Amino acid sequence: MSYAVLACNGVDKVEGALAREVGLQVAEATGADIICPVLLNRAPDHYEKALGEDALIVVDGCGTRCASKLAAAVGAKPKQKVLVSKLVKASEEQLQASLRLGPKEMALAENIVADVVAALGAPGGQAAPAAWEAPTEFFVVPFSKFEFRIPKQGYWFSENDTWARQMGNRARVGISDYLQQQLTDILYFNPPELGTLVEQFGELGEVESSKAIFEIIAPVSGTVVAVNETVVGESPELVNADPYGEGWLVEVELSAWAEESELLLDGPAYRDTVGPKAAEY
Amino acid sequence: MSENTFMGVARESISWAPLIDYEKCDFCMECDEFCPHRVFERREGDVKLVVANPNNCVVFCRACSKTCGPDAITFPDKPQTIKLIKELRNAEGGTA
Repeated sequence: MSYAVLACNGVDKVEGALAREVGLQVAEATGADIICPVLLNRAPDHYEKALGEDALIVVDGCGTRCASKLAAAVGAKPKQKVLVSKLVKASEEQLQASLRLGPKEMALAENIVADVVAALGAPGGQAAPAAWEAPTEFFVVPFSKFEFRIPKQGYWFSENDTWARQMGNRARVGISDYLQQQLTDILYFNPPELGTLVEQFGELGEVESSKAIFEIIAPVSGTVVAVNETVVGESPELVNADPYGEGWLVEVELSAWAEESELLLDGPAYRDTVGPKAAEY
Repeated sequence: MSENTFMGVARESISWAPLIDYEKCDFCMECDEFCPHRVFERREGDVKLVVANPNNCVVFCRACSKTCGPDAITFPDKPQTIKLIKELRNAEGGTA
């Protein structure tokens, strides 16, 4: 597979300088074409071929996420994304004040690059072979020009608009039709790592739209055993098109379903929250 | 959920809202432009943005902090908040 890398060049912040270094090293490691964000902004046609043919890796420096927004503006779908400021935070390293990279920053960049390159080839785990049938019966909550659909049964919701569908000792997790419509077009799903143990209401990755980045609030606790590779790699728009079916996000092995489901809402109870929420929005 | 309960608990009893670090904030207003719940309000003077309506904040949502370039927004500890909510639910009879 051929790659292109679009990295923040925001050299007024050390995170930006680090993002630039990460971009360069990713390009060296993968043979990726380098996309200059400034030129992309100025003359997107210049990169039409690279964006059309290559798998795109986007490296943002800070939470302003200029590189991501630029990719979204030209309609590019990233295969993988990196947010340097978040990784720096997770590493618990303090970056120096200087905009030039020192040995510590270079070491950080190398670690980040190693993870990025490893993730490019990583498998998405084994989804349970059981048939997860799509829901057939829905409540429909009309609001203004919208209609929000909620499966009548089999789905359990958190008040943060994520759902769990349990089957045996596993559950699939996704976002509700209401949330996907609020977010508008989903551009990217940043999945949790396989094997991660997540607490109920902890974080199961993030979905990103042109509007916002949203944490997926785990409706249940458990171990991440699979992520929806189709949504991650090729078709994040499935979350919009089929939020309760093909647009599922994560599969977890459950740890305390009986106890935790008491903290969730069933279809009718969740339906009753959606209208007031939409009105408040 | 009525507009002032979360998981069956009175919203006012859950302290979940953004905290702005004014040493870092550059008043770019990205968070305020993003948040649809009017948690923030703009002000005249040196401090141009405040957390005016903390109870409007959606419990567990941290999306505004992810729009923040200078990383000036933090939230309370989530596991502790979850623990508190569960305790309050039990105290109130455990039904939502």
